[in-house]
Amino acid sequence: MKTILHIIKKEFQQFRRDPKMFGIVLIAPIIQLLILGYAATLDVNSVHTVVYDMDKSYESRRFIERFKRSGYFIIDMYAENYEEVTEQLNNTSAIVAVVIPKEFEKKIQRKETVPLQAIYNGSDGNTAGIASGYVAKIISEFSKEIVLDFRERYGQKSSSVGMLTPEIRVWYNPELKTRNFMLPGIVGLLLSVITLILTSLAIVKEKEIGTLEQLIVTPIKPFQLIIGKLVPFVILGFIAVVMVITAMNLIFGIEVRGSSFFLFFASFLYILSTLGLGLFVSTISKTQQQAMMIAIFAILMPMVYLSGFAFPIENMPEVIQYVSYLIPLRYFITIIRGVILKGIGIEYLWMDTAALLGIGIIILTLSSLRFRKRLE
Amino acid sequence: MNFVRTKAIAKKEFKHLFRDIRMLLILLFFPVFLLGIFGYAVNFDVKNIKTTVYDSDRTELSRNFINALNSSGYFDITKFIDSDTEIRKILDKKDAQLVIVIPKNMSREFHSNKEAKIQYLIDGVDGNTANLIQNYVTAATSSYNNKLTLIKVSKTGSKFYTPIDYQPIFWFNPELKSTKFLIPGLIVMILIVTSAVSVSLSLVREKERGTIEQVDVSPVKSGELIIGKTTPYIVLALFNAIVILVVGYILFDVEVKGSYLLLFITTSIFLFASTSLGILVSVISDSQQVAFNISTMASLLPSVILSGFIFPIDSMPWAVQIFTNLTPAKFFIEILRAIVLKGVGLQAFYLQVIYLIIFATVFLGLANLINSRKGKTS
Amino acid sequence: MNSIEVKALTKKFGSFVSVDNISFSVKKGEIFGFLGANGAGKSTTIKMLCGMLEPTSGDALVGGYSIKKESDNVKKNIGYMSQRFSLYNDLSIIENIKFFAGVYGLEGELLKERINWVLKIANLEGKENILTASLPGGIKQRLALGTAVIHQPKIVFLDEPTSGVDPISRRSFWDLINDLSAQDITVFVTTHYLEEAEFCHNIILINAGKLIAEGNPKELKTKYLKKTILEIEATPVNNVIEILKKSQYTEDVSIFGNNIHAVMNCNYSEKEQVYSMLQHVQDISVERIDEIVPTLEDVFIHLLEKDGK
Repeated sequence: MKTILHIIKKEFQQFRRDPKMFGIVLIAPIIQLLILGYAATLDVNSVHTVVYDMDKSYESRRFIERFKRSGYFIIDMYAENYEEVTEQLNNTSAIVAVVIPKEFEKKIQRKETVPLQAIYNGSDGNTAGIASGYVAKIISEFSKEIVLDFRERYGQKSSSVGMLTPEIRVWYNPELKTRNFMLPGIVGLLLSVITLILTSLAIVKEKEIGTLEQLIVTPIKPFQLIIGKLVPFVILGFIAVVMVITAMNLIFGIEVRGSSFFLFFASFLYILSTLGLGLFVSTISKTQQQAMMIAIFAILMPMVYLSGFAFPIENMPEVIQYVSYLIPLRYFITIIRGVILKGIGIEYLWMDTAALLGIGIIILTLSSLRFRKRLE
Repeated sequence: MNFVRTKAIAKKEFKHLFRDIRMLLILLFFPVFLLGIFGYAVNFDVKNIKTTVYDSDRTELSRNFINALNSSGYFDITKFIDSDTEIRKILDKKDAQLVIVIPKNMSREFHSNKEAKIQYLIDGVDGNTANLIQNYVTAATSSYNNKLTLIKVSKTGSKFYTPIDYQPIFWFNPELKSTKFLIPGLIVMILIVTSAVSVSLSLVREKERGTIEQVDVSPVKSGELIIGKTTPYIVLALFNAIVILVVGYILFDVEVKGSYLLLFITTSIFLFASTSLGILVSVISDSQQVAFNISTMASLLPSVILSGFIFPIDSMPWAVQIFTNLTPAKFFIEILRAIVLKGVGLQAFYLQVIYLIIFATVFLGLANLINSRKGKTS
Repeated sequence: MNSIEVKALTKKFGSFVSVDNISFSVKKGEIFGFLGANGAGKSTTIKMLCGMLEPTSGDALVGGYSIKKESDNVKKNIGYMSQRFSLYNDLSIIENIKFFAGVYGLEGELLKERINWVLKIANLEGKENILTASLPGGIKQRLALGTAVIHQPKIVFLDEPTSGVDPISRRSFWDLINDLSAQDITVFVTTHYLEEAEFCHNIILINAGKLIAEGNPKELKTKYLKKTILEIEATPVNNVIEILKKSQYTEDVSIFGNNIHAVMNCNYSEKEQVYSMLQHVQDISVERIDEIVPTLEDVFIHLLEKDGK
């Protein structure tokens, strides 16, 4: 036990001497949180719009006004012909062109149906899909008003025909902010970077400069060495989690709805597997450069893309969904999103918790064995 | 500029590249691997929304409505529940993303010509998906409503009036597949790794080993050295670009709609800009570790997050939008989307091309400045 | 009593035999030189003796403990210092010493006493808080040795401890080794510098994993090289070597500083034969020819060449 404490003390003395390391651990997470927090949003709130108003009537202007007032659309230009519409969609960032046909006003007055074209630049399918939803909503509200207006004017009884209408309630995140979805994921990602990369680098560095050999000839047992080297990173990881969650609350106003204790417990389980992976990387790399390459390309990148951090796992092909079961971050992200956004606890998350624990123990044990074998 | 000397360096660098088989394999297979796995994983297309239904009406109307939803292909109705007490648990556990609650008197209200509300409870944790689900349920409800109304109206003979008939048309990507939109971003990311990151590492490696001083004393000029050293990586990256486009076509149906010549020229310009970034990084850093860190921070991270690859730049706060101009990836992604997806010509992206050229010049100029200043002080 | 007893020690890496069935013993308190060219299997042997690497076959007793079965006990009783400087550059001197002392479980009075001892032998008293990275090479080596024996082991292994150190620091480093030996600590050392080997009490030489010579320096010089050796000072050196190599008298010719050392064969009887032979060649001027007692280097070059053939 004393031996382990000596190793831990030594690690911290080394941290103190390495301001760059301190920077990576303490400042980088906050900066990344800030940039990611502000940049990583899929919210569609400024749809660049072209309007081609062939009618130029009172009704058509009233209709266009709806777009302006919605807050989602920015009208970049008013086109005078189809060529201009095509030109704008092809060559600028315009996402939608709304084409108001001739006799828009007259047809409405005559109680005829007006076809209304909205041409989208579909190359960003996601944005186009959401923008189309906004347009549909504006149109349906506008139509409803017209119908009501008619009824009033001609004294028809309301609801002469039965109607099915949707009543939508969004839980957990009523404003549909994607930031709330991304930020908890970032906690998991940052935790992986700190624990995984730094652990593997710390061990490979000792290998490179030869101190590892010096440690092996001392009576230190491999398990003492492993624990002694890993504990400081567990502590750093925890500091990072606390900092990032605090920053998330202060800067972005996202509170932890569920139990913080459970959140930390899950973080601990998750750290077990990232440390194990870090240890594993250190056993297969000879230099720090190799360690970094492997850690980033073979472990972190798949983590980013396959964990459900930004891209929902439900949307992936089945085969890749199976692959994602192997990624510990997947479970951790489910847990932190559940605890932070939904306020749920182990009663619903026990499966993910168990998976995290299982994977953590397996990875850490196998890596430790491999590390031990390498030493002997 | 002496062509013979430049060629000698390029030849040497090619030999290095081919000797290090492991590195070469990483550089060649990594892109295909990335595209293969991530191309499938990276998408926002919401299908098969896991849905639970609480039907407290239990009439012909409610059953028909549920069947209509089920056959639309977007909803995957996995569960029916008998009481609303379970709803919370289902959403909490992520057993369903959507719970449809059909109120008790829906059929009666509807047939007595009243408005009958159908409740949709959506798991909003993933705001983007929730937004799309919201659009789907609105569209599905109103189209079913219209169908019912038409039948009813035709029976009674009275006229049913919809003032505006919404006709959305989606250009360039009619099925609104997000993969097509994301693949240009993946291409750019891969090219950045094979150009900026490898070039900076290769130059710094020479620096670490001291062989760059060796070259310094020989008659090779720094321009010749840089061109000689970067050519192999640019060639490799161009080759990569071709492989990725072919794989993208085979696996994801992403065809190049525009001009191949334009694509080739703009890709070369981008590679020029990103190798310049690599050279700048190599001048600043003294060790491979530092070079790797800086190039990850300066090129890889921004090119994922700030380039518009995944997250639309228009939605970012203006302060962050200014930052996005610092990454060449942003401009090349815009160019690629224009050529590959829209098939339009230079008039759509000449500004971006100019930006890239400015980038390259500024990076190279800075690298030169720092280098000569270092030479004076040491 | 022997402090190290090596019995038929063998290590294979795949099909490559790094250490091939070697046996030797090291007496308590002696300075034992372990010599061989690069890649001869020196480091592999040391790693096995220190319990870092498991032998393929054979065994060794280090301080009375089997390296196969009791490697934990072996580690407690030895010190090890490698050719690479293996203290932490980013720790201060005292932090390094305290860390290794802690790893070996030193406490209380003994800890204080040993820390002072290490600081004394490294001439670093009063400079405890300096960062280790800023120390000059010679001092670093002394500090590394002090730290390696902080727990007062009975045996210390030094793997090329003086490589890359200037000659004066090397000399004072060997004084330190002699001090350790005087305190009855067994010193097992490998080195590139054959003049250092002369300081050893006993030496073994290995080549391609096999033991090819053993004995004290004096024995080696007489036992393995019974032939006459001439030290020749003549110019131009390259021409002279070529002529000597072709001549009927020599068995082995090698450069030695500014001189040439030639091992003579049975055709040779007196140095005048050689003198007149060289005199007759144009452009060659002979300064001097002396019969000498072979140095260890002569012996080793001779042995290695013979082994190579």
